[in-house]
Amino acid sequence: MRVVVDRGEPFFYPGGDIGCLLIHGFTGAPEEMRWMGKYLAEQGFTVLGVRLFAHATQVADMNRARWEDWLANAEDGYHMLRGLASQVVVIGMSMGGALTLLLAREFEPAGILVMATPIRIPDNRVERIRPLLPLISKVMPTIRLPGGSDWADKEAEKLQLHYHEIAVRSAAELHDLLGEMRRSLGRVKAPALLIYAKGDLGTPPNAAHFILEQLGSSDKQILWLENGGHNIARDAGREQAFEAAAEFIRRITA
Amino acid sequence: MSQILSGGEPFLYRGESGVGVLLVHGWTSSPQEMRDLGKHLAGQGHTVLGLRLPGHGTRPADLNRLLWRDWLAAVEDGYHFLENASEKVVAMGLSLGGALALLLAASLPVAGVVAMATPYELPTQPRLRWLRHLLFPMRPLGNLLRFMPKPTVNDYKDPQAYEDHLSYDVFPVQSVPEVGGLLELLRQQLPGMRAPLLLLHAVEDRGVSPDHARSIYARVGSTEKELVWIEDSGHVITVEPSRRRVYDLAAEFVDRELERAP
Repeated sequence: MRVVVDRGEPFFYPGGDIGCLLIHGFTGAPEEMRWMGKYLAEQGFTVLGVRLFAHATQVADMNRARWEDWLANAEDGYHMLRGLASQVVVIGMSMGGALTLLLAREFEPAGILVMATPIRIPDNRVERIRPLLPLISKVMPTIRLPGGSDWADKEAEKLQLHYHEIAVRSAAELHDLLGEMRRSLGRVKAPALLIYAKGDLGTPPNAAHFILEQLGSSDKQILWLENGGHNIARDAGREQAFEAAAEFIRRITA
Repeated sequence: MSQILSGGEPFLYRGESGVGVLLVHGWTSSPQEMRDLGKHLAGQGHTVLGLRLPGHGTRPADLNRLLWRDWLAAVEDGYHFLENASEKVVAMGLSLGGALALLLAASLPVAGVVAMATPYELPTQPRLRWLRHLLFPMRPLGNLLRFMPKPTVNDYKDPQAYEDHLSYDVFPVQSVPEVGGLLELLRQQLPGMRAPLLLLHAVEDRGVSPDHARSIYARVGSTEKELVWIEDSGHVITVEPSRRRVYDLAAEFVDRELERAP
């Protein structure tokens, strides 16, 4: 039997002395980072895309996950790359960006790239009922969230691999993780590039402004994509994001 | 503070031999017990990945939350990391890691398996047996008794290796049935397994008795199989006085796989 779903596998593309760690988002899969990973591998970098705990298996697994498990997976990827590369750049999408920031608080990556990372869960009910979520999840393990699509590239949207439901307990973990991230921003010193899309319906622009302002890094920049929505590494603005990423990596590792 | 205990991090070494070796550690322990074997194999030119199983190398309480499918998912991850970086993947594991290496070979095209000190069923270690009898019928009891101290007597030949071994000092109680469940799956899958297999087991293993290796050897479907007994060692054969012999046997096994036509 196989536990990880098809296309949900993590990836490793050996290359040069600069390592890129790619971290996908909440309810997503390594697949959402794969195009970017392939692009960076073609640029000569060593690339590793991790699978976060309870992702790309079955949604019920998410109720057993804690945000510390996800951070431990990000650390795993970092340690694996450290064995091959003299410098490691950490790249995260959405919640993966929050993990990127927490990783940079503990370790010293050459740089970080944070894409479409929120500072709070968009649904503010989660904030109010956070203490009850573990209990609620016992009777209502998963919920289906209605929500409009912000994809510009509809073909890419069809290929998107993610859970179609939210595990209730895991919403509490995401909430806690984002809180930990907000409190840690000042302690992050690595050179940082933030990439956000103007058409992102999930993450409001003030998240980008908040992170940019609070980050302890002296070298920090933001790129606003005109094209595409929240899924920056997959949607219509991806080529621009990939090129900006490669340019950023070359500059900070030179 | 990092999540992973210092010394318990996974490792990845790059080689050009074309073989990727996946190393899987045992229950309640960490990649640390596989690291020297990994370095030895990397020294032979192989790409080596020593993965960290979920719930390991962090806090014992994490293990109480996990199911055996989480560990299987992690070894699948390890395979997928290596498949693109090498022509063949050989899976090696110690104890529970050996069972996971065998199960990986039952679902993905692994070129060969080295299973070390691998259990065939839940070991009859008194404390584990007691937990099993308690837990299989009455699992909620695990909520009352979350941890059980490990016995202080051990079967190590090298006291320093025991001192250095990074492992939880308790059994996470709710994880015991998960080990049992994984080994049940192993017993189902063994007869269908075809990958070449090398079994290494210490004659004096007190954690997982030599009978386990005999059972696996007798029931595995692989036609190419070998069981080699390791002297002067306890259960954790990768860190004991005879570890060099273990490393050499593992390296020779990989060399044989390398010579084989793809």
